[in-house]
Amino acid sequence: MSIWNYVVTAHKPTNVTHSCVGNFTGPQELNLIVAKCTRIEIHLLSPQGLQPMLDVPIYGRIATLELFRPHGETQDLLFIATERYKFCVLQWDAETGEVITRAMGDVSDRIGRPTDNGQIGIVDPDCRLIGLHLYDGLFKVIPFDNKGQLKEAFNIRLEELQVLDIKFLYGCPKPTIVVLYQDNKDARHVKTYEVALKDKDFVEGPWSQNNLDNGADLLIPVPPPLCGVLIIGEETIVYCSASTFKAIPIRPSITRAYGRVDADGSRYLLGDHNGLLHLLVITHEKEKVTGLKIELLGETSIASSISYLDNAVVFVGSSYGDSQLIKLNLQPDAKGSYVEVLERYVNLGPIVDFCVVDLERQGQGQVVTCSGAYKDGSLRIVRNGIGINEQASVELQGIKGMWSLRSATDDPYDTFLVVSFISETRILAMNIEDELEEIEIEGFCSDIETLFCHDAAYDQLVQVTSSTVRLVSSTTRELRNEWFAPEGYSINVATANVTQVLLATGGGHLIYLEIGDGVLTEVKHTQLEYDISCLDINPIGDNQNCSQLAAVGMWTDISVRIFSLPDMNLITKEHLGGEIIPRSVLLCSFEGISYLLCALGDGHLLNFVLNTSNGELTDRKKVSLGTQPITLRTFSSKNTTHVFAASDRPTVIYSSNKKLLYSNVNLKEVSHMCPFNTAAFPDSLAIAKEGELTIGTIDDIQKLHIRSIPLGEHARRICHQEQTRTFAICSLKYNQSAADDSEMHFVRLLDDQTFEFISTYPLDQFECGCSVLSCSFSDDTNVYYCVGTAYVMPEENEPTKGRILVFAVEDGKLQLIAEKETKGAVYSLNAFNGKLLAAINQKIQLYKWMPRDDATHELQSECGHHGHILALYVQTRGDFIVVGDLMKSISLLIYKHEEGAIEERARDYNANWMSAVEILDDDIYLGAENNFNLFTVRKNSEGATDEERGRLEVVGEYHLGEFVNRFRHGSLVMRLPDSDVGQIPTVIFGTVNGVIGVIASLPHEQYVFLEKLQMNLRKVIKGVGGLSHEQWRSFYNEKKTVDAKNFLDGDLIESFLDLSRNRMEEISKAMSIPVDELMKRVEELTRLH
Amino acid sequence: MDGGCSASSPSELGNAQATSDGGGGASKFLANLPSRGNFSSTVLSSNLGGTRVYICHRNTAPPDDQIIRTNQTNILIRSLMLMKQKGDSGSKDGKGAAASSQGSRKRAAEKALDGKAAGKKALSSTQHGSSQELQSLTVEKLRALLRDKGLSATGRKDELIARLRGANG
Repeated sequence: MSIWNYVVTAHKPTNVTHSCVGNFTGPQELNLIVAKCTRIEIHLLSPQGLQPMLDVPIYGRIATLELFRPHGETQDLLFIATERYKFCVLQWDAETGEVITRAMGDVSDRIGRPTDNGQIGIVDPDCRLIGLHLYDGLFKVIPFDNKGQLKEAFNIRLEELQVLDIKFLYGCPKPTIVVLYQDNKDARHVKTYEVALKDKDFVEGPWSQNNLDNGADLLIPVPPPLCGVLIIGEETIVYCSASTFKAIPIRPSITRAYGRVDADGSRYLLGDHNGLLHLLVITHEKEKVTGLKIELLGETSIASSISYLDNAVVFVGSSYGDSQLIKLNLQPDAKGSYVEVLERYVNLGPIVDFCVVDLERQGQGQVVTCSGAYKDGSLRIVRNGIGINEQASVELQGIKGMWSLRSATDDPYDTFLVVSFISETRILAMNIEDELEEIEIEGFCSDIETLFCHDAAYDQLVQVTSSTVRLVSSTTRELRNEWFAPEGYSINVATANVTQVLLATGGGHLIYLEIGDGVLTEVKHTQLEYDISCLDINPIGDNQNCSQLAAVGMWTDISVRIFSLPDMNLITKEHLGGEIIPRSVLLCSFEGISYLLCALGDGHLLNFVLNTSNGELTDRKKVSLGTQPITLRTFSSKNTTHVFAASDRPTVIYSSNKKLLYSNVNLKEVSHMCPFNTAAFPDSLAIAKEGELTIGTIDDIQKLHIRSIPLGEHARRICHQEQTRTFAICSLKYNQSAADDSEMHFVRLLDDQTFEFISTYPLDQFECGCSVLSCSFSDDTNVYYCVGTAYVMPEENEPTKGRILVFAVEDGKLQLIAEKETKGAVYSLNAFNGKLLAAINQKIQLYKWMPRDDATHELQSECGHHGHILALYVQTRGDFIVVGDLMKSISLLIYKHEEGAIEERARDYNANWMSAVEILDDDIYLGAENNFNLFTVRKNSEGATDEERGRLEVVGEYHLGEFVNRFRHGSLVMRLPDSDVGQIPTVIFGTVNGVIGVIASLPHEQYVFLEKLQMNLRKVIKGVGGLSHEQWRSFYNEKKTVDAKNFLDGDLIESFLDLSRNRMEEISKAMSIPVDELMKRVEELTRLH
Repeated sequence: MDGGCSASSPSELGNAQATSDGGGGASKFLANLPSRGNFSSTVLSSNLGGTRVYICHRNTAPPDDQIIRTNQTNILIRSLMLMKQKGDSGSKDGKGAAASSQGSRKRAAEKALDGKAAGKKALSSTQHGSSQELQSLTVEKLRALLRDKGLSATGRKDELIARLRGANG
């Protein structure tokens, strides 16, 4: 790999951090706004459900998100503050469909200690000011003027240093905040302050309340008419206002999120750390609060945000599990739960660990992640491409073509499947038992190859063979009419739709027939100069039954032509270039745009945008899908039309954001495909492959597919063992039922196909699994799982004891072969020169696998290396060892065979707190640290002095905005040997927000080109809320901020493809490179993930 | 106030457990959930179209007066000034006018206090307009001014002056 790296997101963040409901996109439109760390999703509430509208990338990590409405506005504005101290106020412009920045600014202060308990951003309910608590002891005020414009911000000193929560109180004549804080004796209190805007100071508020629940950490302001505030503790809930104090005890729980149900604030939903959902009711007589009631409603994912939407439907956003859409039922179900889950939104976060495997052995990587936490822990299998769920299959050799037919024109389902062979045609049909059986259609000619079949109007079927076109009644199945090819000519290719037939014979004759009730009429006949290779008349105009255009592919001059129908005038002729003839053409329409697709004999696909009124072809693009001829067919799934390209690399072509996307199908080779939508197997496809006919349904059409394996416990480490086809995980299970929250740790063995637990090894009390590795040792042919553990004692700061356990898998069981006690936590294990390298607290330790007299083995310590704070992450390559330290960045060690010693070779002297490391190549190492940055360092072996050689030089820096937990070499996509992209080495990373990303090392020439493109894109694509891309990607920690270098933002570069043509041309002009060339190069990059 | 909590807890603890153990208790509280007609269809669809990824290619910068900055006055100095003002406000007639123009005038004064150099006082009241004035400043001061304006503070003195003038003009 190289120092020029390209970082791109393969799976966007899914961790829901905030959500709110309001009229954002229109005065009458109710929206749910969901923040997923660096993205905002806007949904529209409708009678049919939740309708996604917009996915807005934000150049920052969202710290606070709130909707508010200044006086005189008819719709809500969105206030966002980012973790890097930027804020913006966004407004939706319905006319242009744009997000407008009403105001923005930098709210950082040069001095000040960032708050420990997270940033707080709140808007006064009467819209007099925005309040921010970003630094200990400071409260920042951004006042509004009476026109709803923001004014200069100022700071107010806040005496309370350990603030847990701040909210604005409702119904106060002056803006009033209520502060929940902890004093230096760890007691918790609330206090109110009025904000005096004129004096820029606080005035003591109307009331305060001392000595609350020791676990109180959430305030809920209650709107008028009740006003006041709810203080949510771990054991009590308190309602407090100037005049009233009410408290109720609750079962011990930590409330993570709340959602207000009623506008008058009398009911709230509370979500706790175990995922239990409670309803909190303020009982009141008129405006006087009389008490509180709390009721358990049921269980959801562990909530990080709760938004009551409408009509008893609630959005539960989660950081630890899937987010959910739930309905609150009036009556409990059999289990006593009032919660009904309507929908789940996949969340991969937090990805604590993952591994890259090729389970199907197709040469394509899949990522298996340890996702979620606590009870919502799961494994997720993430793979690229679309899967086929096989439902039936028969062995059939030599299929030359397939078509499905209906028994009546208005039948919504297909009945017959016509399968054509070299010298016969067979017809399959679903019988009453929903089995496929062979039948006969008398009117069809069955002892000859069929060239084309189609349903026709008036309950008829059309069959085209090399000599005739037969029109057959679909009810009586008898021949109604027949058209014969001219004497001496045989039909080579044919196509048809409900009312039209177009066919071509040798000698370049093109013949157009129309279908009537029992009649076939030859309407037009022309002769072209060359033979015809393929045809299509798929109707894409307004008339669903009849096409105005015909697409014709030609031999000899390698062109594709568009003819008008029925008069067959040549409208457009497009030379394809090259020497490969078109083998399949298709007219199709996606998202209101018409396309002509043209597949060549060498696996390339050309697509054009087709103007249906004048037949003009524009926006020519060429992509490589495989190496063999492609056959194109349309099919529909979930009421949307897609195209299936059958070849040696079957692909589904679909459209998203008015852009054609190609997703490979996880099948090896498909020669033919036809949709076969029967009553028993709706939306199915019939697929001919390798001597087999398969009927199956297709996955949702999207790029990445995620399968969830809920574990009910928190998986923390995972490892795959090819030889035994198993996974080993280290997991922990929280025991909620016990009086005190205890946890149990396990090593579990899972089958890599079924993902069932097949064996479990429970760890000791207080012992937890820290690392797992599959490896073998020198002089021993067996493979083992090695597990490193730590004894985490409540009274110790750092573990002082751990174990290395060596397991073998025998008969699907974990057998403990050897164990070795260590003097600390085994944070990392690596296979190293046939030995085992362990990182134990501050030490790197090498173990030999030594045979004992009784033919068993034991781990024997060979040598070690001290000098780390905590050696958390270790990677090895040859004799080199790269260590990621808790706080001392990356260091490079070397193992010296002769001396049997490990020595430090070089280190990076920056104080980075590491979260993951990986070796890119011999000299370049990649690190991620806890301020969400990536960096690369380079070994300087040519340095003149020892000092220079002992320093790892920082060569790349980049702000990713994501907390990376793991890097792994590998790829999510099939590597085609013939494409340039196939040669680019990649590293995959997984993050806390559920992002799966790819880091690709580019050749220098390509890097320079893309850097220029990125620079130009920055001018065209603006950051939402006026946030700057350059600043966002600059390396940032407490000590320094420097511009990103030697890393490119692939997400920005790939959004080039989403730009309008005008904008693309703007960029192409600035780069002096043709648009098509630019598009081709960017499209190639999209195939990295 | 701790007493308030603990005094009521024994009896209420019993009540809370009784209601939640009884089951079905939540029904009466779940009645009349607010509804504005959404999610009313009997079959809620999970596939109401795809999301569009928003690409922002318009200039999104807000009007200049809505690019918000923080008042840089030291809090301590402000509170001292506040006290002084309160002392002065014995003569109340001037206060209204002072309040209205407070923004600009006060800011100027504050800046003067903020910066250590006395020479800066004169400058901050004028708008650092002429290049001669700027020329007379040291590079350090120019850099400080640029940083206040959120501009890049790198380059030679001539560049700094040009940038400052650009920002002012």
